Amino acid sequence: MPKRNDIKKILIIGSGPIVIGQACEFDYSGTQACRVLRREGFEVVLVNSNPATIMTDPSTADRTYVEPITVEAVERVIEREHPDALLPNMGGQTALNCAMELGKAGVLERYGVEVIGCNLESIRTGEDRELFAAAMRDIGLEVAASGFAHSVDEALAVADGLGYPVVIRPSFTLGGAGGGIAHDEADLHHIAGQGLSLSLVGEVLVEQYLEGWKEIEMEVMRDAAGNGIVICSIENLDPMGVHTGDSITVAPAQTLSDEELQNLRDYSLACLERVGVATGGSNVQFAVNPKDGHVIIIEMNPRVSRSSALASKATGFPIAKAAALLAVGYTLDEIVNDITRVTPACFEPSLDYCVVKVPRFAFEKFKGTSEELTTRMKSVGEAMAFGRTFEEALQKALRSLEDEHDGLGPLATQVFDEKRFDDLVARPTPERIYYVAEALRRGWSVNALAEATHIDPWYLHRIANIVAAERAIASSGLSGMNRDRLLAAKQMGFSDAQIARLTGSAEDVVRGVRMVLGIHPVVKTVDTCAGEFAAHTSYYYLTYEEGGATEHIPATRPRVIILSAGPNRIGQGIEFDYCCVHATYALANMGYETVMVNCNPETVSTDYDTSDRLYFEPLTFEDVMNVVEIEQPAGVIVTLGGQTPIKLARALEEAGVPLLGTNASAIDLAEDRDRFSHLLDRMGVAYPPSSVASTPEAAHEAARRIGYPLIVRPSYVLGGRGMAIVYRAEELDSYMQEAAHVSPNHPIYLDSFLEDAVELDIDALCDGSEVYVSAILEHIEECGIHSGDSACCYPPFSLSDAIVERVRCVTRELALTCGIRGLLNVQFAVKDEQIFVLELNPRASRTVPFSSKATGVPLAKHAARIMAGERLCDLGLPAESQEPAYFAVKEAVMPWTRFPGSDSTLGPEMRSTGEVMGIAKTFPEAYAKTRQAIDYEMPSEGTVFISVRDNDKRAVSAIAFALHRMGYKILATQGTAKTLRATGIPCNIVKRVTDGHPNVHDALSAGNISFIVNTPHGHASRGDGYILRSEAVRRGITNVTTISAATALLHALSILHDGKGLSVHALQDLDAAGETQAQE
Amino acid sequence: MNPLVAEGSQSPALLVLEDGSCFRGRACGAVGEAFGEIVFNTSMVGYQEIVTDPSYAGQIVTLTYPQVGNYGVSESAMQSTGTALTGLVVRDMCHTPSNWQSTQSFPDFLCAQGVVAIEGVDTRALTLRVRSGGAMRAAISTVDLNPKSLLTRVTASPSVRAHNYVADVSPRQSRTIPASADARARREAAGLPKLRVVAYDCGEKRGIEDRLTNAGCDVIAIPFDTPAKDAMAMRPDGVFFSNGPGDPEQVTQTAEAASSILGKVPVFGICLGNQLISMAAGAQIEKLPFGHHGGNEPVMNLITHRVEITAQNHNYGLVFNSMGPLVPELSDGNTTHTRDLRHWVKTGVAPVVQTPSLGRVRLTHVNLNDGTPEGIQFLDIPAFSVQYHPESRPGPHDSHYLFESFVGLMDTWKAKRYSECASTAKYGHAPTDACEGRSHYAQA
Repeated sequence: MPKRNDIKKILIIGSGPIVIGQACEFDYSGTQACRVLRREGFEVVLVNSNPATIMTDPSTADRTYVEPITVEAVERVIEREHPDALLPNMGGQTALNCAMELGKAGVLERYGVEVIGCNLESIRTGEDRELFAAAMRDIGLEVAASGFAHSVDEALAVADGLGYPVVIRPSFTLGGAGGGIAHDEADLHHIAGQGLSLSLVGEVLVEQYLEGWKEIEMEVMRDAAGNGIVICSIENLDPMGVHTGDSITVAPAQTLSDEELQNLRDYSLACLERVGVATGGSNVQFAVNPKDGHVIIIEMNPRVSRSSALASKATGFPIAKAAALLAVGYTLDEIVNDITRVTPACFEPSLDYCVVKVPRFAFEKFKGTSEELTTRMKSVGEAMAFGRTFEEALQKALRSLEDEHDGLGPLATQVFDEKRFDDLVARPTPERIYYVAEALRRGWSVNALAEATHIDPWYLHRIANIVAAERAIASSGLSGMNRDRLLAAKQMGFSDAQIARLTGSAEDVVRGVRMVLGIHPVVKTVDTCAGEFAAHTSYYYLTYEEGGATEHIPATRPRVIILSAGPNRIGQGIEFDYCCVHATYALANMGYETVMVNCNPETVSTDYDTSDRLYFEPLTFEDVMNVVEIEQPAGVIVTLGGQTPIKLARALEEAGVPLLGTNASAIDLAEDRDRFSHLLDRMGVAYPPSSVASTPEAAHEAARRIGYPLIVRPSYVLGGRGMAIVYRAEELDSYMQEAAHVSPNHPIYLDSFLEDAVELDIDALCDGSEVYVSAILEHIEECGIHSGDSACCYPPFSLSDAIVERVRCVTRELALTCGIRGLLNVQFAVKDEQIFVLELNPRASRTVPFSSKATGVPLAKHAARIMAGERLCDLGLPAESQEPAYFAVKEAVMPWTRFPGSDSTLGPEMRSTGEVMGIAKTFPEAYAKTRQAIDYEMPSEGTVFISVRDNDKRAVSAIAFALHRMGYKILATQGTAKTLRATGIPCNIVKRVTDGHPNVHDALSAGNISFIVNTPHGHASRGDGYILRSEAVRRGITNVTTISAATALLHALSILHDGKGLSVHALQDLDAAGETQAQE
Repeated sequence: MNPLVAEGSQSPALLVLEDGSCFRGRACGAVGEAFGEIVFNTSMVGYQEIVTDPSYAGQIVTLTYPQVGNYGVSESAMQSTGTALTGLVVRDMCHTPSNWQSTQSFPDFLCAQGVVAIEGVDTRALTLRVRSGGAMRAAISTVDLNPKSLLTRVTASPSVRAHNYVADVSPRQSRTIPASADARARREAAGLPKLRVVAYDCGEKRGIEDRLTNAGCDVIAIPFDTPAKDAMAMRPDGVFFSNGPGDPEQVTQTAEAASSILGKVPVFGICLGNQLISMAAGAQIEKLPFGHHGGNEPVMNLITHRVEITAQNHNYGLVFNSMGPLVPELSDGNTTHTRDLRHWVKTGVAPVVQTPSLGRVRLTHVNLNDGTPEGIQFLDIPAFSVQYHPESRPGPHDSHYLFESFVGLMDTWKAKRYSECASTAKYGHAPTDACEGRSHYAQA
């Protein structure tokens, strides 16, 4: 069937901010969909609140609305744009939920919008477990024995019938949020309670726990003619019970026979047919009993998903692009396979390699929460690797994580918990894979391990092979590593660093020996067809093969290698990938051949269309050097991918690799706080008094000299890891005890903490002789809250022109003095009309995408052009100091609900996973949009609980007064109430949690509190505030922990109270009106 | 197995191709030497089905998926009683399999079957070589590790074309395999008579027998050289021509049998069987550059307009255009043939040709990767055949419906007899009901 001609304009809904369970894979899929539909002549309208996405670039869609994904906002967009169709299956669960609600609210019917790519009924059948179970029984498939519950008591009754352990899965949530495994009644109480509150429909499924069963996923596509194909099978190394997002996963499935796999294929296609997936991609999950092959269907997602992004990258089959084409009427056989260009997309990819994905976690940032992996996803990112064997792919994937591991082997610093060793082997945690390997080293048998872990023996044997090879390498030493043995080690994925450690040598020595022996990696192509047809794309991975047959094609144009950011983590996410993608676009325009290196399967940068060549490889020195040696680039860009490539700058430069842009010594100057302080001293620029200490005594001495409060941190940190504010000597002591393991051989820095200062983020460009200060962002939260967790606003709303001018001046001077070529980011604090430099990042910052969208100046593209030798004056930039007619606000998204038990106060350590943007004529309106975009409840009436520390008591009166005037009732603790009453604000007093009942916790539990203003009392991590914050997180009640945020929230509430609703703006209109510059 | 894991436990081995390419590796099957035509198979699973498929007689098979043997070996995967290929090439062999059905490791199985196998080879580089150089002669040796001398012996070895491999793998005596109990009961309940299928076993895969018996047929598998009159004397309700190895031109006895049986009873053929049936209708046979060997070949059913993902294993194929002139009134007015049969996919037409001796033949299936013919249907006699493997094993189950179609054809035939239903498209019933086939997916 050819393309439909009855639709002209298509609305695509994105997935909103990056949250756990929904990351940048939906930028990848949404971007693919926008592009291919426009190429087909459709007009594409996009709604997405996440500014750090390629899809929200004004050039990706025809009409781009950076607006909250709410029924209200999307309806306004529909009202303005009148699209013919809505494509809701590209934006994850967020988009599907929004489409469902739009349907329910009658919006789609009212405006005559047709849902394409899926139908709402099939979404219901796919997602509602009761309907799904019935549908699967219809086609003869078994589902796990289960029952639904709408209260904890019902859940208990169901569990009694099934017998423990049971899995609890809430209906309609994201990434299994709120789910878990209950081994007894106490567990059930706890998990079912959480699940019920997180479920959009207040429902949980209590299900038989298939302990030790294999978990298999099938990525399936179907077209309107009924053709169905399986793109990829994915096997979870961790058995049932660990969320697939938190599992190590392997493609293709390794331990199933043809018969078993083909049966799963049949079931998957039948499932799609029965659920009613008319067209598009779906993910179907199965449990397979390893003892008898018995199959149970677990669930299906009728949309592109994290797994389908993984499957796309693992196979080279662009699922989202194909799904978009299917949605507009094409059939699979009418779509051409991009890679072979001669065969249709209606086939099943054949892989001739193994792909392993490993999740990346951030538990160190959420102290107090359990590290056990369950059905509730907690990982914040993932890395994927290709190898010709599972062993090679696993080791490459593990070193791709950048958590200091260079493979499966233990680090010199690795400490195994001897007391809990057996338990940590048996229990799934982020560290489990290392415990499994260590158990094998300690002589555990594969059988004993299989018994303890339920991991399939095939995987354990493979890991045992790696351990056996470790032993062989260690016993012969480096001198015993002849050509064949070293090649064999490389074929097993051992890094040079690992071999060095095993043989008591150094990485560069191993590398040298490898060069002498002529062992170089070969280039292999990801081609969807196992070599059966010629590939026309340069989607590569590296491996080691006897014979050295490489598929590398020499390039005719000069090449630039761009190093991207690796796995997403807190502090380094999609924003850096965004910058790298922009750089590749800009450099391609300049005539370079662009070469991308990255190992993150979720990203746009690892789409084989994005750059001329893609190397899906880890971002370690060794792996990057391999690519450099093969491609012989004119230059390598290290300043756009965050800390990952920056860390490699010096080693690469020392190895003679030409770096484009800011050089390694300039990077070092900016990142080394000591050298940087000296520079500021020479320039006469103020910075918070600081000192460095390498012993506790020196630290105390420095603290006395500078004075409390202090910000303390280790050197070279990302996202403020290990950073804290200390108010007293005792706190400094306990910090140093904990921080010691953060960065063992590094001293700590102590900076004076500027209380109540305003923080600014500046993104600027420098070409060596001129500087362009593009965006000055004013933070909402005061200094001390990590800039990644703070909301910010462009243009600054509370600063004088004089201050702004001074900030520009200092930025200019710093950029020139440091020798920046490309992007830089400077953070300032403004206190009492005085400005202080907090830090300078000689690279693209997290705020570049937001700044680019807010100002209309595509900073990363310009940076790439500067790095390639162009001058600022050639770039045609708009004047620096123009006043935009709009306010753009960025707000951070916190993952508290995933980490019950950890404290939800903002602080100097970054913990947000993503961000949203709101654009409006006024600051309050823009801020209100960000609140809605994050799905925070903004109750327009009810009771506000206020409890603030002494410092904030004066400031809170004005806020309370305004709330009172808006009709909210106020509940306060004794101390706060005293202040409020003194200023004539009526309020009720409530007991603290520790003062007996009825207290504020009881009020919260009873649902009597609409939102909370609670600034932390003192700095104890446990106590009243902690209990309240945890409870608020559990109930999804807005809880503001700073006065500045409370003020901003108050503004937003006042806007919502006037009842006019929020207007929507397309980015393209801002351009057309000349209010901000066009992006290209 | 990586050499560091059990150092020194494997003997070296060498693979040499006719074009002089040479790959060093390690023995992972029987020791000795194997000569044959090198081909590659892109199925990611199903190695046991592949090595026990008699159609691989005379060939050295390269598996493109690099880790082989993961789930061991089980009785239910056997496609014949033993192996027929001459040698196997893999990247990494698994000696420690894991699967509930596994009774033995794959390398142990290969040793027991006497199959020479080599691991440690860059199978992707080898595949690209075969893709560009075509299927060539090759040898694996664990004895002669000198590339020069092995190459000399490869170039001196006989070509595949010259030998009748079917004679090697076809049984000497006939066997009877009864319909499955389920199917028999099903047919009885529906008031349908028993069906007897005589199958020319040119190396028939067990998967085919299973599908036929599961569809309710009592199967009598007979030697490839059984004269037609002897086969007809068994009073079959239908005759089946199986898959088999090598060049169809070498299998003259079976080709003759096909010629005389076609038109007398319903006939179904798969792979080599398809070629023999086509030859009987006057088709020319061509050798494809490197054949189709894999489980992911997309085939368009021109009758239903649905795509079937199919398992394939053949180096030879028929030339549809050589079967006769187009019948314009049944070919949407077309009078000229096109070389690339995907033309018919685009126009949505199932063209019909007039053969010299067996009436009109319709093209029913086309390979979407390269536009080669994948299935034909006779309009004036009850017969159809496909080039691919609808029984899969290994591969997807999309085309299982063809066995039901064959049964349907026989039932119709039995009920009405030939004279009553000689008019056009009475047998159109045959390969058309893919949609019905689909809904049987999950009735496992």
